[in-house]
Amino acid sequence: MNATDNTNAKSYVLVQIGNRQFAMSAATVSELAPPVRLHHFPQSSPLVAGVIVRRGRIVPVYDVSRILAGKNSPAHRFYLVAARDFGSASEPGAIPVDGECELVTAPIQNPDPTSPKYISGTLTIGEENIQVLDLNALVNSANAGSANAEPNGIESAENRA
Amino acid sequence: MKIAAQEPTKSRRVRRTEAVILFTVANQLFAIAADSVQEIRSTDSLGAALEIEQQEIPKVRHTVERNHRTYFVVNACIHFGLRVVRPTLVLILRQVRVAVLVDKIERMTEVSAIHALPRAFIGVECRWYRGLAYFEDQVIPVINPLGFLTANEFKRLDGSLAEAASQRTLEGAVQV
Repeated sequence: MNATDNTNAKSYVLVQIGNRQFAMSAATVSELAPPVRLHHFPQSSPLVAGVIVRRGRIVPVYDVSRILAGKNSPAHRFYLVAARDFGSASEPGAIPVDGECELVTAPIQNPDPTSPKYISGTLTIGEENIQVLDLNALVNSANAGSANAEPNGIESAENRA
Repeated sequence: MKIAAQEPTKSRRVRRTEAVILFTVANQLFAIAADSVQEIRSTDSLGAALEIEQQEIPKVRHTVERNHRTYFVVNACIHFGLRVVRPTLVLILRQVRVAVLVDKIERMTEVSAIHALPRAFIGVECRWYRGLAYFEDQVIPVINPLGFLTANEFKRLDGSLAEAASQRTLEGAVQV
């Protein structure tokens, strides 16, 4: 890493989603929550799997593993709580993650041109290239692609009953 | 790992203590403001319910007359996309001409706050719910009574009723 790289270096949280590792800007992350209860109710928002309760707030959970890892998240998982922007306001949202998270400081490089729009760059950690996830872009792309989605959470709610 | 908790602890709350009725539909728990329910009856007592002939809105199959008003009976299972089970109770609402078929009343209670639906929710649930209540370790959607039928659906159902009435008048005239 040279001097230019150091000025560009920022903190990122490395998360494990399925069998893949991603990075998220630490500035947007508020906490890693334990595997608390996921509450389901009938709704039709794309990606939203339900809500969890953290620090007196009701936090929506985005099941991004279907997009990022091609499978549903396991039942017992941790939740990484990060801010999502809604115009001038922001709201916490949670994504299920597997196992430990790690805080790293590294310079971000431009994403591969073939990467989806929700990948905002890559980090080189050791010999690994890790994609940096933009949660807003990811959810927005899912919303745009699922305008006619079937209601979510209903089947899960019934299975739990 | 726990990174600094920067978020405020207060949620966007739209109202303080409120009396609600907790009820279930296909094992899913819902809450509705007690003052928005006029009457709770057993479905067995709805013998006078009239079948309404229309296919466009499958969640409405019947109407009931209460106090010289016609209420459209909405099957909550179909409305919420839940597994259809045989309802046992009907909630006759106060503000709108809607009666809702439900499974069971759990109880009446008070909730200290109703949290606005997070902005992450962008689907039909924004019309269905006023918000969410956190009560006894459960997050419970709080029903928006105006969300069962849209103005357009009321218009179509009223149209079906008017059509059926004119049909009956015509048949009566033919018989005479």
